Amino acid sequence: MLLWLPLRSLLRSRRRSLLSLAIIGLGTTIAFVVLGFVQESRALIRETSVAEFGNLQIASPQLWEDTAEDYGYLIQSSALDQVSALLASEPRVDTFTVQLQFPALIASGDRTQIVRVTGFVPGNPTLSRAGEIVAGRDLAPSDAAAVLVGRSLADRLGLAPGSVITLTLTTVDGAYNATPLQVAGIYQFSSEQVELQSLFIPLRYAQLLLNTTGVDRIVVALGDIADTPATRARLQAGLTDAQLGLEALTWDELSPFYRQLSNLFDILFGFIALAMAVLVFFIILQILTLAFLERTREIGTARALGTTRRGVLGLLLAEGAWLAVIGSGLGLALGAALSLGFNAIGVKWAPPGTVEPVVLTIRVGITTALAPFLLGVVATILSSVYPALQMARLPVVDALRVE
Amino acid sequence: MSEDARFCHDAGRAFLETRDLTKTYRLGREDIRALEGVDFVANQGDFVVLNGPSGSGKTTFLNLISAIDRPTQGEVIIEGVSTTNQTDRQLAAMRRNKIGLVFQSFNLIPVLSAAENVEYPLLLHRLERPERKRRVSAMLEEVGLGELTKRRPNELSGGQRQRVAIARALVTRPRMVLADEPTANLDSETGKAVMQLTSRLNKEHCVVFIVVTHDPAVTIYAQRRFRILDGHLTEEGNDAPVASAA
Repeated sequence: MLLWLPLRSLLRSRRRSLLSLAIIGLGTTIAFVVLGFVQESRALIRETSVAEFGNLQIASPQLWEDTAEDYGYLIQSSALDQVSALLASEPRVDTFTVQLQFPALIASGDRTQIVRVTGFVPGNPTLSRAGEIVAGRDLAPSDAAAVLVGRSLADRLGLAPGSVITLTLTTVDGAYNATPLQVAGIYQFSSEQVELQSLFIPLRYAQLLLNTTGVDRIVVALGDIADTPATRARLQAGLTDAQLGLEALTWDELSPFYRQLSNLFDILFGFIALAMAVLVFFIILQILTLAFLERTREIGTARALGTTRRGVLGLLLAEGAWLAVIGSGLGLALGAALSLGFNAIGVKWAPPGTVEPVVLTIRVGITTALAPFLLGVVATILSSVYPALQMARLPVVDALRVE
Repeated sequence: MSEDARFCHDAGRAFLETRDLTKTYRLGREDIRALEGVDFVANQGDFVVLNGPSGSGKTTFLNLISAIDRPTQGEVIIEGVSTTNQTDRQLAAMRRNKIGLVFQSFNLIPVLSAAENVEYPLLLHRLERPERKRRVSAMLEEVGLGELTKRRPNELSGGQRQRVAIARALVTRPRMVLADEPTANLDSETGKAVMQLTSRLNKEHCVVFIVVTHDPAVTIYAQRRFRILDGHLTEEGNDAPVASAA
C-alpha cells in the first residue's frame, strides 16, 4: 500500500497530474526525437567516413602531422611486408590495401583544378569504388594511365568516360612530371568534397609517376566498426614492437568533419536536453509544491500516526517517482510513434557536405530511449525533492493546524 | 469482547504523567502562555474527560501529551520515560507504538478505503499482510463497519468516518488513546453511539482514554473529569487545581 498510496494521491487530482504527465512526456518526447535524429545522422556520417577512410589507416606520423617537406614518410617494401604479416595475424581485420596519395593539378581544356590523387590497387575490395561507378567502368588491374573522377568534378570540367585530362605533379625527387590520363569511369560519393577533389588511378602508375616504389598508407577494413579501438590498440602495440615508426589512426581521428559534426550534434542534443530538463524541473516543482501544500494536514496526520520524517519524505518522493516513470514512459511511447510516423512519410534532406538527399530518419531503439527517459525521470524526481523535504521537515503540530 | 481485548491487569498504575507542563507561544512581541505548570497523572484504564472553553489550552495539552509538540517547560513522562530529550524519530516511534489519536475532523486519508485507513498504522509496524488483514477486519467489525470496509471516506457518513478513525487509533493496540472533540462533527445520536463504543473499548482493552470535549453528553462516560481554564488544569469534584500555581 505504501507503494500505491502515492499513485492514488496522484489520481486524486487528475487534471493536475495529467498536466504534469503532459509536461514530462512532452519534454521526453522532444529529447527522444532530437536524439533519434542525432544518432541516425551520426551513423550516416560514420558510414560515409568509414567508406572514405576505412576503419584504420597505418602511416608515418609525419604524414598525419603534415610535417614532411618531401616524401620521407613513404613506407617501403620491407616495412610493408612486416605490416602485412601483422595484419594477417589480426583476426578482426577483414581486408587491407595500400595507397599512395599525392597532390596534383589536372587540366581539361582551359580549366584546371587542384586535386588529391589516390593510387590504389584495382580489384582490392578495401575501399573499392566498384559500387559507386555511375558512368563508364571501374579500374582493372591491367589499367595504367586511366583515372576515376568524381561526379561533381566531371560535371564541373565537362568530363565523360573516354575524356582525357592532363595530370601535373612533382615527383619524390622534386622534378615536375605530367601525363595524360583517360577517364575510365565516373564515381559518386556521399561527400561532395570527395567527388570534387579525389581522383583514383592504379597504384603502380601512381608510383611510376612519382618515381617511387613506396606507398604512403595502409588502409584496413574491419568486419565490425565496434572492433576499431581494440584492433587499433593491438596493431599499434605490434607496430611499436617492430620499431617501424608507423602509427595507426582510426577513421574518426582521420575525419575532422565527423568529429566537428559529432561535437555539434552533442552540443545540440545537450542544449535541447538541458532546456527540456530545466523546463520540466521548474514546472513540476511548482505543481508538486502546490499538490503537497494542499495535503499538509494529511501529511501531519501521517506524522502524528507515527510516520517518521524519512517515511513522509519517501512517500512524497515516491509520488514524484511515479510521475517521472509514467510521464517519461508516455513520452517515449509518443516519441516512438511520432518518429515511426515521420520515418514512414520519407522526408528527404541533404546532410551537410553531401550531394544526394537521403531519407530523413529518426532512430527508434533502446539506445535512443535511455537518455531521454533518464532525463525525464531525473528532472522530475529532483523537482520533487525540495517540496518533499519542506513537507517532511514541517512540525507535526503545525501541519495539523492547516485546514 | 473481541479476541484482541485484554484484561486490565495494570489498572491503577500510572501510564502518563506531566510535571510542570508549560507551553508558551510567541505572538508578535507578546508571549502567550497556553498552558502553565500542569501536573497530571493518568492511570491504566482511566477514562478522562477534559473540557474548557475555546482557547483554554485543551488542544495544546493534548498535543503535548501525544508527543506531537514539545513543551516550553516541564516534561511529559509516558510509562516512566520522559519525552523531553527524545529525538523526532523516537517520538514518532512512541506515537506509533503507544498512542492512538482521534481527531475532531477525523483526518482520514481520502484516497484510501476505510480498511486501508485502518491498515495504515499497521504498515508502520511492518506487520505481515495476513496479520494486518486479520486485525483490520476484527477492528472494523468491532466498530460496526464490517460491511463498509471498501468505502472511501467521502462515501461514509460523519459517524462512520469517526468510527474508522477510532478503529485506526485502536488497531495498533495502543496503551493510550487521545481524542480531540471526537463528537464535535457528529449529530447527537451518532455522537452517543461513538462514545458508547469508546467507553466499551476503554473497558475491554484497558486503554487510557483522554477525551477533550465541549460536549456535556460525553462527560457522563468519564471516570475522571478535568477542566482547563487559562492554561490551568483542575480536576472536577476536587476543587484543588492539579496544576501547580504559576
